[in-house]
Amino acid sequence: MSRRALVALVRKDLVLELRGSEVVLAMVAFVVASFVLFRFGLGGGRPAGGTRAATGMLWVAIVFTAMLALTRSFAREREHGIWDGLLAAPIDRALLWLARACSTCIFLVAVQVVALPAFWLFFLQDGPAPDYGVLVAAVLLADVGIAALGSLVAGLASAGRAREVLLPVLFLPFAIPLVLGAVSATTGTISPQTSGLHTLERLGYLGLYDTVFVLFGWGLFEFVVED
Amino acid sequence: MNTTSGARLDRATSAALVAAVLMPVALGLIFFYVPNDVDQGFSQRIFYFHVPIAMTTYALFAWGALNAARYLWTGDMGLDLRSYVPMHLGVIFGTLTLVTGSIWAKVSWGTWWYWGSTELNTFLIIFLFYCAYFMLRFSVEPGERRARYSAVYALLGVGLIPISVLAVHLGQDVIHPVTFTDRGANMDGTMLFTFLMALAAMLSLAVAMYLVELRGKRLDEQVTRLRRLAEGTR
Repeated sequence: MSRRALVALVRKDLVLELRGSEVVLAMVAFVVASFVLFRFGLGGGRPAGGTRAATGMLWVAIVFTAMLALTRSFAREREHGIWDGLLAAPIDRALLWLARACSTCIFLVAVQVVALPAFWLFFLQDGPAPDYGVLVAAVLLADVGIAALGSLVAGLASAGRAREVLLPVLFLPFAIPLVLGAVSATTGTISPQTSGLHTLERLGYLGLYDTVFVLFGWGLFEFVVED
Repeated sequence: MNTTSGARLDRATSAALVAAVLMPVALGLIFFYVPNDVDQGFSQRIFYFHVPIAMTTYALFAWGALNAARYLWTGDMGLDLRSYVPMHLGVIFGTLTLVTGSIWAKVSWGTWWYWGSTELNTFLIIFLFYCAYFMLRFSVEPGERRARYSAVYALLGVGLIPISVLAVHLGQDVIHPVTFTDRGANMDGTMLFTFLMALAAMLSLAVAMYLVELRGKRLDEQVTRLRRLAEGTR
């Protein structure tokens, strides 16, 4: 029952997105525009700070792009009164959070399928680059953390006044340790002296971040949707 | 009701009296009793302000988070106020921690902020989190929902603190002086005594402020309720 409900809820989000294209296309346009902006911001022809600065910028762009998805999260349900129907359904409230986290994660991965090649094109094709395997692993781990925590925080922000402004304010303090860990994991691999253990430790940190906020999301979401 | 209010006033007043006695004693010890630090000289005395204020901030945030958890468990609206007030005071003490930390950094390291310091950066992340708590609280209409949302967000901070400490440690570049180690306090008896007095003074001040603000907020709620009742009978 739970699994069927979860699949149905995620499918609903994906179908709505496929029909309306409200979020993913906007996110792709935003992230590519951000890269262009960063490229010129770092000095155009020869970026200041090199690959290290560019990799840091990638994480900032990922977090800000995720904001777009999270801002729309729950907005559709609130605007069209779908929320009451979902709450009346005989399913665990935590499943509503899990489904939203899963669909947000899928949206993020879909955006990064375009964003990462664009990032390579704009920043990495010349000069030293981070380990691509580590970069992709870090991005996927970060996506899980952003989706898990972001879905909970978006639920809180959706009931406030000026929720579009509130969400980044609530989410960004949590994004700081995520970006710190992710930057450390990816920029560390640019240097050839970095050991595999160092990288594994950083990726492990991202996994821990995911675990902590998945547990918080699962345990606390029922208090966000009690009414 | 009068008896309860009276009892609260007494507790608040006695806490304020303790703070009023301990504060000048601690100041006297800091400026006239404790010797200068061998490395940092007179300027190290800011340690006796900075560290007790930071510890008080953490204590206030912990008390706020504990009451938030108790609120979610019991649904008692009184616990919402007991969670909000320490958060509010924690942000005030947190601001003082950042200011005193910055002054100490400028004197010791020649810079107002050092991004390689684990303690400074962790504290900054946590401080930003608690500022966001207020944005959430003030953007939701007062009532049971606001209490619930505030409690959920306050509890998220419990996850954020260890995660931030770990994240900042990943890029660690130790410069911040480490006074309290696994083997105990790294200072002599005079300094430890002065530090403990300063900590006691700061904690008693926080307790007094907590009780006074709690009482004020409760009175405010009662007045709002009476006003609504009066408007209803018109």
